[in-house]
Amino acid sequence: MPLTSEEVKEIRKILGREPTTEELAMFEAQWSEHCSYKSSKLLLKFLPTKGKHVIIGPGRDAPAVKVFKDWIVVFKIESHNHPSAVDPYNGAATGIGGIVRDILSLGAKPVALLDMLYMGNTRNPHANWLIRGIVKGISDYGNRIGIPTVAGDTWFDEVFNVQPLVNVACVGIAKSNDIILSSPQPGDLIILMGNATGRDGLLGSSFASKPLSEDVDKDIGAVQVGDPLTEKLLIDAIQILVAKKAVRYIKDLGGGGLTTALCETAADHGLGAVINLEKLHTRQHLTPLEILVSESQERMLIVVDESKLELVDEVLSKLDVQYSVIGYFTNDGLIKIFYNGAKVAEVPSKELAKPRPIRRASIPPLEALKGLKPFYQLPPEPDYREAIIKLISSPNIASKRWIYEQYDHEVGVRTVVKPGFGDAAVLRFLDNSLRGIAVKGDANPRYTALDPFNGAANAVGECFRNLVAVGSKPIAIVDELNAGNPEKPDHFWYFEMMLKGVAWMAEELRVPVVGGKVSFYNEDHMGRQIKPTTTIVGVGRVEDVSRVMTMEFKEHSSLVAIVGVTYPELGGSEYLYRVFGLEEGEIPKPRPASELRNAKFIRRVIRLGYAKAVHDISLGGLAIALIEMAVAGRIGVEVDISKVYTRGVQRLDEVIFSETQARYVVEIDSRYVDDFKHLAERMGVNISIIGRVADSNQIVFSFGPNNLVNLDLFTVVDIYNSILEKEVEGEV
Amino acid sequence: MYKDFSLNDWDALIIPGGFSYGDWLRAGAIAARTQAIEKLKDAKDMHIPILGICNGFQILVEGELLPGALLPNENSKFVCRWIKTYVEKPRGPWLSLVEEKQEIDMPVAHAEGRYYVDEETYRSSLLKSPIVRYAPGHNPNGSIYDIAGVGSEDGLILGLMPHPERSSEDILAPRGFRANGKILFESLAHSLKKGW
Repeated sequence: MPLTSEEVKEIRKILGREPTTEELAMFEAQWSEHCSYKSSKLLLKFLPTKGKHVIIGPGRDAPAVKVFKDWIVVFKIESHNHPSAVDPYNGAATGIGGIVRDILSLGAKPVALLDMLYMGNTRNPHANWLIRGIVKGISDYGNRIGIPTVAGDTWFDEVFNVQPLVNVACVGIAKSNDIILSSPQPGDLIILMGNATGRDGLLGSSFASKPLSEDVDKDIGAVQVGDPLTEKLLIDAIQILVAKKAVRYIKDLGGGGLTTALCETAADHGLGAVINLEKLHTRQHLTPLEILVSESQERMLIVVDESKLELVDEVLSKLDVQYSVIGYFTNDGLIKIFYNGAKVAEVPSKELAKPRPIRRASIPPLEALKGLKPFYQLPPEPDYREAIIKLISSPNIASKRWIYEQYDHEVGVRTVVKPGFGDAAVLRFLDNSLRGIAVKGDANPRYTALDPFNGAANAVGECFRNLVAVGSKPIAIVDELNAGNPEKPDHFWYFEMMLKGVAWMAEELRVPVVGGKVSFYNEDHMGRQIKPTTTIVGVGRVEDVSRVMTMEFKEHSSLVAIVGVTYPELGGSEYLYRVFGLEEGEIPKPRPASELRNAKFIRRVIRLGYAKAVHDISLGGLAIALIEMAVAGRIGVEVDISKVYTRGVQRLDEVIFSETQARYVVEIDSRYVDDFKHLAERMGVNISIIGRVADSNQIVFSFGPNNLVNLDLFTVVDIYNSILEKEVEGEV
Repeated sequence: MYKDFSLNDWDALIIPGGFSYGDWLRAGAIAARTQAIEKLKDAKDMHIPILGICNGFQILVEGELLPGALLPNENSKFVCRWIKTYVEKPRGPWLSLVEEKQEIDMPVAHAEGRYYVDEETYRSSLLKSPIVRYAPGHNPNGSIYDIAGVGSEDGLILGLMPHPERSSEDILAPRGFRANGKILFESLAHSLKKGW
């Protein structure tokens, strides 16, 4: 977004004179929505960010939480929606590059990537091109830097045909005393290391802070190009520099380029800086303005005490990493930029870094009424077998193999629970202990589009359940709020409600929101916003990775139980959409009290060894949860739907397809059925034993004596595993 | 560090997976022309056992220490999944504890792993050498003759696309697979002590 005339007026006031063109470019980059959070800042304070595990909350490049006494986890989420809409391959790839460097800035070792992709209809040619490009971009970049992509979330929906959402997250680990918590001091040298600066991504953040133009190709110059080999060298170099205690402070050059890195570092520590731009290594001849706002990738700013320069040189030279000493910090709070001796800019760091927040109007649109409509009259119940086949053929539900097999999800030998086997990925620390972490990312664009408050709360709930289902204890989350145009009150309302939904649910579930990102202007050139989407990534603590829980049914003597109460909550469900084409109605209510109680029960059941498999119930309801467990285990299941504990339910489809929150399916070791029941009773948890894992290749749903659905397991396996590939590769 | 690698320090060499030089040009092509790889040829003459895994295999093939070529996967996509293999004519330090037709489960993770060799070389030399083959239905990339890995005739040099090091601990094997890739490293340890 170019600066508004009020903003230019304000800049004149700050400087007390006419700004130079360089200064204007710096303000444009830093005051963009992407870098400054000016529209969201006033609301972000509602998020609960504190907790006993939180070492660093929002504010730095990435937050840090103490997961064990001696281990810190650094994790963060980032969006690359706009670049990916123009150049899906490079847009998605550089999203990975950027989020990895955020993790490096605290000195942590990146050990896992997650990608949460909300993309268009596979059969729309443009959307299909975007889907392939995005997945290939992440695959090529992530695989080449040797960090496994272990988990994520995927959704296909026509609203994302032109403007997809590409949310990526990185998880890093650091020993408690290795993390970089020191501050830059006046006199410290400012070094830029990594890639040579070029003309790519000029004012990319500013481009990302406005709607897509009709001819997206003309924005191609604002998209950065990735170089994973240099990124890998940066990762190695930072690990060595940190181990040798050679650096005082590290900052990623991301959105806003050098300008943002400089002014944020200076402003956060009450410093100024003197910079000589001609010292910087560049790819071609660049003007000072271009150097200041280029968003060339794979660059990092390190702050070094002069006495450590020799050591830094030794490390970087050995690894063939280019660097330039471009200036030093001062204590006058002014950023002074020189080019060949001539001063091209002089701005106070604080005023540049933090523009005045804007209070945006927020008005719910009429369309929001769709999410308030209770279903008095549902369409007549369909043939269940057909409905189930339609659901497992939904690319939102079917196996994401086509995507995750393109990612090396095992490099580093930490991945204990792999994609397709558990509700969350589990990684070990590899420190001769059995400790580890669980990670997962979740969203449901349909929920947040119908009811942004409850939908966002449900995203927090689902992430929480996924972490619990593998047996971990949720520690903290980060959020990515993808919204429309903040200048439009009816778009901004969705953002406000989503943020408050996250804040409320996180507080209820006692998981702090330690960081996050806001992405605005996700609308097409007609001004239509995408489905506003809240993406949540969570980290859980795993005491013993040898006892984590996977979701596949394991043994045919086991019983199958559903944990939690089922309500008639079909509004916004995948069932209503796939079978009847309806996207309306009240979405399932967030149920924080039940979430907490049931989660505690599930974790105990896992710890005591009663469970052989656990799976959370989400998209597609109970029917899909059971089928997914059978498919993953290649073993049949027989359940009696009449035994499901329900409240207020009138129809069978409400039992098997409701997406009521706070529920799990558990495979119970037959030896512990009584213990399981007693524990549930003691903890006040509603459970119903509904059937058993069957020594057959059949998936059977009955209602009392009546057989409802009978499916051949291998037919289902075939559809579930292959449909996404067929959809994308065009073989349907 | 690759700049100061000396042969005299090592009993055996393992070139691990990864993306040397970002796979630019062609997987392994640039690495196979660096100084360190030139030294592998000296290692071969000194009878030092060499194992190339994934990118390591690609480098050995590019460096002409093993026959054949590794082409982009049939579907032109990266593939990461667990597969089953079996070994024929186990021989040499890396396979000394492996029995004929023994099954080994391992994950693959590569974009350029489709092995190709012309029929004449296959008949004249490969059939006399150790071969690791994908089990029926497990060929992930379209390799000719289901070849996952090949050795030199004496088995001193072995290259394979699957990752035995990722299949060396039970905790890493998903349901339906065994983590028995460790046998390559156990074979080496055994062989270095007792010969092969």
